[in-house]
Amino acid sequence: MSQVTAETGIPVAGQETIAPSRGLQLLRPLQLAGPFVVALIVGAIVLAASGRDAAGTYWLLLQQSLGGPTEIANTLVAATPVLLTGLATAIAFRSGMFNVGVEGSLYVGAFAAAWAGFTLTRLPGPIVILVAVVLAGLAGAVWALIPGILRAQWRVDEVVTTLMLNYVAILLTSWLVNYFFLAPDIANSMSPLIASDARLAPLLPRSQLTIAFLLALVVTLLYAYLFNRATIGYQLRMTGLNPRFARAVGINLGRSIIVVFLLSGLIGGFAGGLQILGVNYRFIDHFSPGYGFTGIAVALLGRGHPAGILLSALFFGALSNGGAMIQLFSDIPLDLINILQGVVMIFAVIELSRLPACLTRCSGCWRPPRRPRPPSCSPPWVAWSTARVASSISGWNR
Amino acid sequence: MGGLVNRQGGIVNIGLEPMMLVGAFTAVVVSAQSGNPFLGVLAATVAGALLGLLFSWSITRLGANEIVAGLGLNLLVLGFFGYLLPTAFKIEGTLLPAGLVGLPKVEIPLVNQIPGLGPILSGHDILTYLSWLSVPLVSVFLYRTPLGIELRATGANEEAARAAGVPTLRLRDFSTVVAGAFSGLAGAQLSLGVVTLFNKQMTGGRGFIALAAFYFGDARPALTALGAVIFGVFEAAGFRLGSSGVPSQLVQMLPYLVVVISLTLVAVRRELRVRERARAAAA
Repeated sequence: MSQVTAETGIPVAGQETIAPSRGLQLLRPLQLAGPFVVALIVGAIVLAASGRDAAGTYWLLLQQSLGGPTEIANTLVAATPVLLTGLATAIAFRSGMFNVGVEGSLYVGAFAAAWAGFTLTRLPGPIVILVAVVLAGLAGAVWALIPGILRAQWRVDEVVTTLMLNYVAILLTSWLVNYFFLAPDIANSMSPLIASDARLAPLLPRSQLTIAFLLALVVTLLYAYLFNRATIGYQLRMTGLNPRFARAVGINLGRSIIVVFLLSGLIGGFAGGLQILGVNYRFIDHFSPGYGFTGIAVALLGRGHPAGILLSALFFGALSNGGAMIQLFSDIPLDLINILQGVVMIFAVIELSRLPACLTRCSGCWRPPRRPRPPSCSPPWVAWSTARVASSISGWNR
Repeated sequence: MGGLVNRQGGIVNIGLEPMMLVGAFTAVVVSAQSGNPFLGVLAATVAGALLGLLFSWSITRLGANEIVAGLGLNLLVLGFFGYLLPTAFKIEGTLLPAGLVGLPKVEIPLVNQIPGLGPILSGHDILTYLSWLSVPLVSVFLYRTPLGIELRATGANEEAARAAGVPTLRLRDFSTVVAGAFSGLAGAQLSLGVVTLFNKQMTGGRGFIALAAFYFGDARPALTALGAVIFGVFEAAGFRLGSSGVPSQLVQMLPYLVVVISLTLVAVRRELRVRERARAAAA
């Protein structure tokens, strides 16, 4: 488990007690911004290769996402679900649980909220909202509990189960909507609209910026409190860092795992519910453009730190909002955003610092003792030629 | 089969889907350019293998988590084709270049005369036969060759295998390259054999179904092939059941549920064994 946490690159307890050298401290922001910069460079190459003005596109993207109050409000709206899913994912990652199933919690949460919204039309609006949000959280938590129990009870690999349950949740809600809760006189797979006074009121005119974003900020603060101050948070961090140590000091591992999945699913459910109450106003089959998966990228890019998660959620919010806008104004497809996101995810988990070593000395690579062959990190010819060049320059290749 | 080799080498490969897509795309483009579908198939295999190699390096050499890197690859490749098709080919959705030649169907003489079995066994493209052939081949490779045994050792316990002098990192790379090549072939079969076009949704979760198949088969070749056939039947049946009342969503859900359930069963069995041993040790 501790290994998994190390792989995500999210700092866990213990690393903080060792003060990094000054040089490392200077490098850290660079390292954090690394995936982001790489993604923008890849995006620029793709744009340039298709004959587009990359700088101009990025400028337009910036203007459309941060250029004025309405644009900023829309960016915040787009950032809300991914901030929540990012926090949900990060809670699990920091506790050593690899929950990639937030997308599933989001779907069942969204469905629960929508159900409350279009069924309880007699009740006054604020009560419906409250019930819907609570139901959404509960549904998400219960959904996440399935892999949680499997993990705690029988050590079933949570990575694969959570991933698979995402698709089960998407198909399950799709089935429910299409067979039981289809809106009358609409051909598309949508539920009826939620009661109009159950909608979250906009904070700014002409925008969908609602209290949902503020709630997401509150959850961010709670997340910070959980891992920095609360006893449970400390126990969870210990579980993530070193399960054997955690057990030795009397932490109940099974309970920790259950708590982690409950919290993670709860927040994932909120993300779905608030999206329905504040933006969509109804459940739509396959409505999420991968908020849960973006949440993984957000958690990784933010390295599990609350401020980092907030910043990267805003970054992805700006991207998707700006991306949608430039798709309207130019013929640049929204898929560009997917490319950027995929690159961020891959480069957030790659340890870039290992790359130069790999290309020159193969320090990270292991050589079989029985068969003396050229060290193979890269294909033999690359290793051979780089070694030749390196040694001919300064002889620093051993 | 590709995913199986990979799994035996100790990597859960959720990048099969993008590798299939890349294979399908390469097959269509190369086949259309050259007019020769077999060149397309070859190119698809190479493209899949190359992507597999890159993916593998990021995991084995650069310490990336296989699931996150795999999800990233899924997004990246989907986004890439979503971007490429409208911008470079000026089309939305389906790529159908002029001069595209599909794979010829192979009619096996004599066999296609057998009533009943004839149309099942004969009249497929060559890749379908290759996929059937791959089951015994992979089986022999994994269980009867030194390389295959080393690969399984790597998957079972990497540290131990390394200590015994097995080049584990290179073997894992090799297994991912094989997975990539097979996925590329699978993609080519879809885009040149089943239909003759390219569409970014054409793989439709087949990479994940492959995952389900080898979880179902506990990563053993014959059982995995059986799982693949069962899922294939479900898929074909899903189209028909859809009109007869059974919701298609529930049918589509099956492979994913199978993965969860078979993982659970394997884990429960393992845990029970561990507990029994602990009890025996205590007694």
